[in-house]
Amino acid sequence: MTRRTRILGMVAVGALALTACASQDSTDTATGTDTATDAATAERSGGTIRVAETNAFTSFNPAVGANNLDINSKVLGTMRSDFIYIDNELNIVQDESFGTYELVSEDPLTVTYTVNESSVWSDGNAIDRGDMLLQWAVRSGYFDGDDPEAGPTYFQYAGSTEGLGLTEMPEFDGEQTMTLTYSQPYVDWEIAFGLGDAMPAHVVAEQAGLADEAALVELLETATPGEPNEELQAVADFWNTGYVTNTMPSDESLLLSSGPMIVTDMVADQSVTLGLNESYGGDLAPQADEITVRFIGDAAATIAALRNGEVDIIAPQPTVDSVTEVQGIDGVTVLQGSQLAYDHIDLSFDSEVFADANVREAFLLTLPREQIVDRLIRPINENAEVVNSQLYLPSEGDLYTQSVEQNGSDAYAEVDIEAAQELLDGATPTVRILYNSDNPIRVDTFSLIQESASQAGFVIEDGGSPDWGSELGTGTYDASIFGWISSGVGNAGVPQLFSTTGGGNYSAYSNEEVDALASELMVTTDSDEAEGIKRQIDALLWGDAYGATFFQSPGLVVHSDDVQGVEYMPNQTGVWWNFWEWSLNS
Amino acid sequence: MLGYVIRRLAIAVVILFASSFLVYILAAYAGDPLEDLRQSRDPNREALIAQRTAALNLDVPPVLRYFLWLRGAIGCVVPFGATCDLGTSLQGFEVTELLSRAIAQTVLLVTAATILSIVIGIALGIISALRQYSGLDYGVTFMAFLFFSLPVFWVAVLLKEFGAIRFNDFLAEASFSPVAIVLAGIVVGLVVYGASYGTTRTRVLVSGGAAATTMVLMLGIGASGWLRTPFLGIPGILLVGGLISVGVTFLIAGFRNKRALYSGLTAVGVAAIVYFPIQSVLGDDASWLLIAGLGVVTLIVGAVIGYAFGGYDRSQNIRIGALSAFFAGGLVLLDRFMQSWPQYVGHPRIRNRPISTVGSSTPGFDEGFWLSGIDTMTHLILPTAALMLVALAGYSRYSRASMLEIMNMDYIRTARAKGASERSVVMRHAFRNALIPLATLIAFDIGALIGGAVITENVFAFTGMGQLFIQALVIVDLNPLMGVFLVTGILAMVFNLVADLLYSVLDPRVRVKA
Repeated sequence: MTRRTRILGMVAVGALALTACASQDSTDTATGTDTATDAATAERSGGTIRVAETNAFTSFNPAVGANNLDINSKVLGTMRSDFIYIDNELNIVQDESFGTYELVSEDPLTVTYTVNESSVWSDGNAIDRGDMLLQWAVRSGYFDGDDPEAGPTYFQYAGSTEGLGLTEMPEFDGEQTMTLTYSQPYVDWEIAFGLGDAMPAHVVAEQAGLADEAALVELLETATPGEPNEELQAVADFWNTGYVTNTMPSDESLLLSSGPMIVTDMVADQSVTLGLNESYGGDLAPQADEITVRFIGDAAATIAALRNGEVDIIAPQPTVDSVTEVQGIDGVTVLQGSQLAYDHIDLSFDSEVFADANVREAFLLTLPREQIVDRLIRPINENAEVVNSQLYLPSEGDLYTQSVEQNGSDAYAEVDIEAAQELLDGATPTVRILYNSDNPIRVDTFSLIQESASQAGFVIEDGGSPDWGSELGTGTYDASIFGWISSGVGNAGVPQLFSTTGGGNYSAYSNEEVDALASELMVTTDSDEAEGIKRQIDALLWGDAYGATFFQSPGLVVHSDDVQGVEYMPNQTGVWWNFWEWSLNS
Repeated sequence: MLGYVIRRLAIAVVILFASSFLVYILAAYAGDPLEDLRQSRDPNREALIAQRTAALNLDVPPVLRYFLWLRGAIGCVVPFGATCDLGTSLQGFEVTELLSRAIAQTVLLVTAATILSIVIGIALGIISALRQYSGLDYGVTFMAFLFFSLPVFWVAVLLKEFGAIRFNDFLAEASFSPVAIVLAGIVVGLVVYGASYGTTRTRVLVSGGAAATTMVLMLGIGASGWLRTPFLGIPGILLVGGLISVGVTFLIAGFRNKRALYSGLTAVGVAAIVYFPIQSVLGDDASWLLIAGLGVVTLIVGAVIGYAFGGYDRSQNIRIGALSAFFAGGLVLLDRFMQSWPQYVGHPRIRNRPISTVGSSTPGFDEGFWLSGIDTMTHLILPTAALMLVALAGYSRYSRASMLEIMNMDYIRTARAKGASERSVVMRHAFRNALIPLATLIAFDIGALIGGAVITENVFAFTGMGQLFIQALVIVDLNPLMGVFLVTGILAMVFNLVADLLYSVLDPRVRVKA
């Protein structure tokens, strides 16, 4: 199945489940003529579900670069509705109870977004033109100057403005429908715009000293891009800093919600309590009445809190110790999985040693990848596997398998010292490997590589440093072991890492074919085509002996058996992706 | 004296500058504040790095960046006219705000533990010094070294396992097994045997009695379900209050002063009499202010009772009356909390597991003064116990050594020779002087305590000064880190000075030269 058909499938399933949910409210006495599942027909469970999180909440606006913490996104995620959400198989699922979007034309790329009239903020204000326009202004960087040094820079947006940066000022048809027209096709158009981290325009307008939402709309529609504008600066300043708080704000307008839940209580550095948003009318209505989030930094302390019945869902740092401990607890369910972070080794194409393709191949042949996973990761996640693709992760399912079948990574499936020696032909190249010496897993990875590569004649120099990050891309090493974090959805990272001028291309890798394909990928709106291009890039990377991927970081979620509906999610949203399905056993 | 203080303060300022520079530079080079961004593969990575570089002035070398920080911070040290600007944290919070919150959390965490460890530690030290080389002395010494050498995170793990998880399990049953009862009896018997003195026959009788009492009490508690619905009531207040009053009288006045004994007992009696009337005052709208006010009233009433008994040494009666009234009042308060206990345990947010292992309160729990008070106590009990066990050891060793030294002094022999009673020799001549060296220690410890208990805070998920410091250090966010350093540094130096001055005030042999 391609991603598109999977998405369609998910939408269909989602829609079925949603109709089932919707029918539940209206037909309490209905006689089971619908196809509702047991879960959907069951009464709401009510009650409080308590989740432990590692970091403390700091801001209601995680879209600001400085406040872009996972915990802020998780909390805000319960307080915002959006056109889509991402499920735990990394598919895009539409939430049509909030609004819809439609691809009107592929050339020029035109997308319309319509928010349902029933979708409102928790103070009753409609989610409409002002909200969409403000969100577009943030995500497009439309008003910022071209040169970031010269300014002006308004919204300190944590995400990329690459996609919406291609759009012109949106057009509106009524208050609820917005049309975006792109100057060129954009591969990730489906996730480029959304209201999942939007701030209410009427509140931002008032806090920034404007008269009302209409004044903000007028300001945004008339301001000149790239020129300093005091009013717009005030709007941006509030957006950038106004939502920073970790105690219950005295001004309730900061707490507005468009999602199923709303913050009812906050204790600095200790907890956030989420109650039901009474004005929420969408389909993702939670089973529970309340979710409390407790901030516990220490993994052992979270496990003790779970055992003592103080929290119901925990995601402790997975280590051999913590996995062993949680597996010994009665009355809990342990969910083991992989995160979207993965470790890999990159070979520097500007180093003398690896300029020769034979040496690169020989080096990759000596990498004991299976042994690394077996020794370092399987004790933590018994289902862990070697990652065999530069562009996909096993968590992505079919897409990963399809790419691995053709990308040529099987040449390096096993350590082959003899073949490496043949390629080296008696040479003993010295390879300096950079890695984070504070990370025990990277240290062990390095040792295993050193042991294996030495057998083929490589002289491995230890370039480990706690300050490895600032050495990246400085040419002081021949190979580097580190981790990337994939977002799971979207393709914008591909040219970033692998094209000659990409900001994350630390290895001076340059292949004209890859450059061309990466540029083509960015303007491909058809997802089947896009995946095809990515598969080609994957194969080229392995063919060039770009480097090798090792494993996905292990993930761990443990929940009390009193709670149902918790499912493992590899991306940074974690278990929160389906919080509305969590229910308590009565 | 004044000159000395000024000189010390001047030196302190110089030290503060030098050490803050050192700490700033060390912390700045301790890690990479951009590490997480370097691993990001988002297309806007460069923009995010630029944002953070601008926010933290990372383009300025640390040596110069220190002076940027100092420009704002100097206002905090200069007493008048200047504004205090410690900057903001990476997340956008004012450092001064973070500090005030962290100090409050730390104080909440360490206050009870400090007071308890000082009182219990000194008491244990004194008693073991008086019974030098007895079984009790060896026992206390053994336990002191044991706890002194245990790392606090390990103590915390044990406490969580037995004090919280298993204790909460046990509360579901709330009765003791016969084995537990017998074992507890034996342990209590042995401890009392070690602590008692006199002929072997008396000691056996006393310890046997204590063991039997313990076993009967445990049986009674199990059978009556007292742990689930605890109470003291008037009989409990009379019994426990009476015992405390007798103890206080013994230590302060001795039993020969009958008026002192009677004023103490009368105070306890009054507490029992007002038990019912006072319940209406201790309603749901009570507050700590009310409790403090009642505490003052209690002290005054007790003092008046003592005064009324008259006699040749009224001040003794007054002290004993006031203290007895205070403790009896405390028992009434305790009884009031106990009345709310079943309601707390059965609360849907507590779900019959009252003792907590993390944080300082149950999220969303806001059920009036009494229940919220219990909630705070159930959260504080484990971290307090952990901190106390570790700190107590030190105090008991110091006070034992100090007491032993004093007891061998010539003036103690003189006091005995002139016929002073043993109580008077120990309490009046020796005890007070033995406390002098401890006064310096305590003053210094209090200064250090505000610095936070890093490990304890971490394992119990408290976010005090220690956590603020560590978390700032991990992400190399220098403003909060320097804020913590500034507060702890100043406190350490101030209390160091206070300790030196205190010594000269307490001990006439030591004089500060100007």
